[in-house]
Amino acid sequence: MIKSLIINFAYYLDTSNSYQKTKRFFYNLLENSDYKYKKYFDIFMMILIFSSVAILIREVKSHVNDSLLFFNNYVISFIFLIEYILRLWISGSISKIIISQHEHDVMLGDKFRLSKAIKDILFSKLKYIISIKAIIDLLAIIPFFHQLRLLRIFILFRVFKLFRYAKSIQTFTSIISAKKFEFFTLFIFASIIIFMSSVIIYVMEANNPQSSINTLFEAVYWSIVTISTVGYGDITPVSAEGQVVAMFVIISGIGVFSFTTSLIVTSFTEKLDEIKDLKVIDDIAKIKNFYLVCGYEKVAKEVVQKLIKKNKVIILEEDIEKVEAAKREGFIALNYDPGSIHSYKKLRININLQVKAILCLSHSDVENVYTALTIRSFNKDIFILSILKNKANRNKLNFAGVNEVFYEKELVGIIAKEFVGQPVAFEAIHALRSNITNIDIEEIIVNDRILQSFTTVGCLKNIKYRIVLLGVYESAKKRFLFNPIDSMLLEKGDYLVVIGNTQFLKEFNTHLHTKVSK
Amino acid sequence: MSKSTALIFGYNEYTFEIEKNIRSAYEHIYILKLGSDGEDSFDLSDNWDSLSQKVNIDDCLAFCILEDMAENIFLTISLRDTFSDLTIVALSEDQESADKLKLAGATRVIPSTQTTANVIVDILEKPIATEVLHSILYEKSSLKISQITIEDHTLFDGKYPTDIEWSRDHGIIIMSVYHEDGSSEFIYSSKASHHVVQSGDIFVVVGYDKDIKEFEKLIGTKCEK
Repeated sequence: MIKSLIINFAYYLDTSNSYQKTKRFFYNLLENSDYKYKKYFDIFMMILIFSSVAILIREVKSHVNDSLLFFNNYVISFIFLIEYILRLWISGSISKIIISQHEHDVMLGDKFRLSKAIKDILFSKLKYIISIKAIIDLLAIIPFFHQLRLLRIFILFRVFKLFRYAKSIQTFTSIISAKKFEFFTLFIFASIIIFMSSVIIYVMEANNPQSSINTLFEAVYWSIVTISTVGYGDITPVSAEGQVVAMFVIISGIGVFSFTTSLIVTSFTEKLDEIKDLKVIDDIAKIKNFYLVCGYEKVAKEVVQKLIKKNKVIILEEDIEKVEAAKREGFIALNYDPGSIHSYKKLRININLQVKAILCLSHSDVENVYTALTIRSFNKDIFILSILKNKANRNKLNFAGVNEVFYEKELVGIIAKEFVGQPVAFEAIHALRSNITNIDIEEIIVNDRILQSFTTVGCLKNIKYRIVLLGVYESAKKRFLFNPIDSMLLEKGDYLVVIGNTQFLKEFNTHLHTKVSK
Repeated sequence: MSKSTALIFGYNEYTFEIEKNIRSAYEHIYILKLGSDGEDSFDLSDNWDSLSQKVNIDDCLAFCILEDMAENIFLTISLRDTFSDLTIVALSEDQESADKLKLAGATRVIPSTQTTANVIVDILEKPIATEVLHSILYEKSSLKISQITIEDHTLFDGKYPTDIEWSRDHGIIIMSVYHEDGSSEFIYSSKASHHVVQSGDIFVVVGYDKDIKEFEKLIGTKCEK
């Protein structure tokens, strides 16, 4: 009976939209660095930490207002407690463990083993509880029990919580931890030196009445101060043997110090590119409506140069030299294989939400087909355009799911035809396309605002603005009406295809969006 | 004046596309391969005697479409040096080689990379306008772009191009005016709109085939190729 209730409740939670939505919200708020509100939460928590420490410092020598103490001991601790509970909640899914155990047992024809499920749940939660971050969180809540005055020093553990909220600290720790073997070796070396020198100096100096080293603790203290090259001078060896030991420790100290410095510097140097890439990945996760260019070669360079004027463009290229060339042009280029699903996972690009279109612009049809297939394997809807280098491969690109295949040689052939047939018309279109004479063609979508003031073609007054209205594209009927009559009614979603000087086009656009009083 | 012979210098995928598209416009099309062997070949030695014997150069238009840009520029300069009046259409890879080809004497340069990039960007940014332009340019619909020479300016009685109701009266749209120096001006540019319509003016017009033909009958003739 209880088992069946638990199973039903687990299924209920697992399928409940509101429960899952709430859990996802807290997960995003606490763990997802791409979530837009997380930074505000992090800042809020950091303010709490600093105010908590400030109150502690103030309390040492001055009287602190009772309300502030209440705030520090109860309010902040309570917020941290809530945070701890929430983190514990989102650290795993109890309902999923129960469902998984139930399905497993049903599949094997066994009875549902609740105890096994509970064991798994406890194990998963305990795994979180004993993690370093969770321990720090727990210690930061302890000042809640402020009656135990000794425990108040645990407020300082709140400072460690900064690791959770400040990304730069996380980066620093990750860099240092990448060299943990080297640091461990250095630590062992320094420990041996300290141990040996402490013992020797103690043996040499402890019985000397002029020496200030009387205990082993003082000997260890002296060794650490000397090896760290700090050298306070409050304790100094007086015997010749002691001074020899001091020389040995000083020289070792220089070695330890320089080794530590070089370790930190090399870890940073080695990780610098990675850090930069991570920063770019983080930035990309925030960009919306960008073009993803796969492959960087001559056509890609020209395309990106034009697109970047009004859009965000990200380039993925496998060849590091080409990536560097793209970066020199000022583009955002990443050294990732556009033909690998792993690249998109690592970059955390949400194709549906973030990408306007994907352009396969490699000069190899093989690579373009591969990239298009890769993208189509996880996204069926995104618009893919690819260039075609060898006519024989057109069908392969179509099969790979490319929406628009662009064959450069065919274009050259058509241009040649135009040039041969109608050179003047060719000039006009060429000028229009390349915008060399500041004449441009534009499409203006008819929206509610335009419709409020302009209901027919005749109302547009395009001639007054020195604009040629080539025609209207009727979205509902999916047809283009060339040179429409003045009485034609405009509808929402229609497009006006207009030609004119770039500046006049802007003015015309402004005119259309300015409400005309009737 | 239209030519009857096209010379295509270079044997590659561009050759087939150009040949396919210009086939109907020329009586003779010669495809010449780079190399010293064979009748249909040429080299870069500056000796065009055999070509001159084979075709009437004054009646030719040349396409220089070698994929190696250095060779293409050399070919263009060599042809221009020998045949000063020859119309040369040259293929360039980028803007840098386009500039060099112009300096080498090419009449018209087709910058393949830039044109490709322009069209790709237009497809993405202005899909409808691009579709319309392509249907006009590549004659996918009955809409056409044409160039019309005004033969009798008295029909327009000293009017400016912008004063005439082209679209309402004749069903066509005037896009630009062609000047004697070979440049073209957008219809609403200050230069074009202050120019009284005169005999010999060439207008680039867009319209349905039927309307264009009627307009041609009314005011003049379609410009010769």
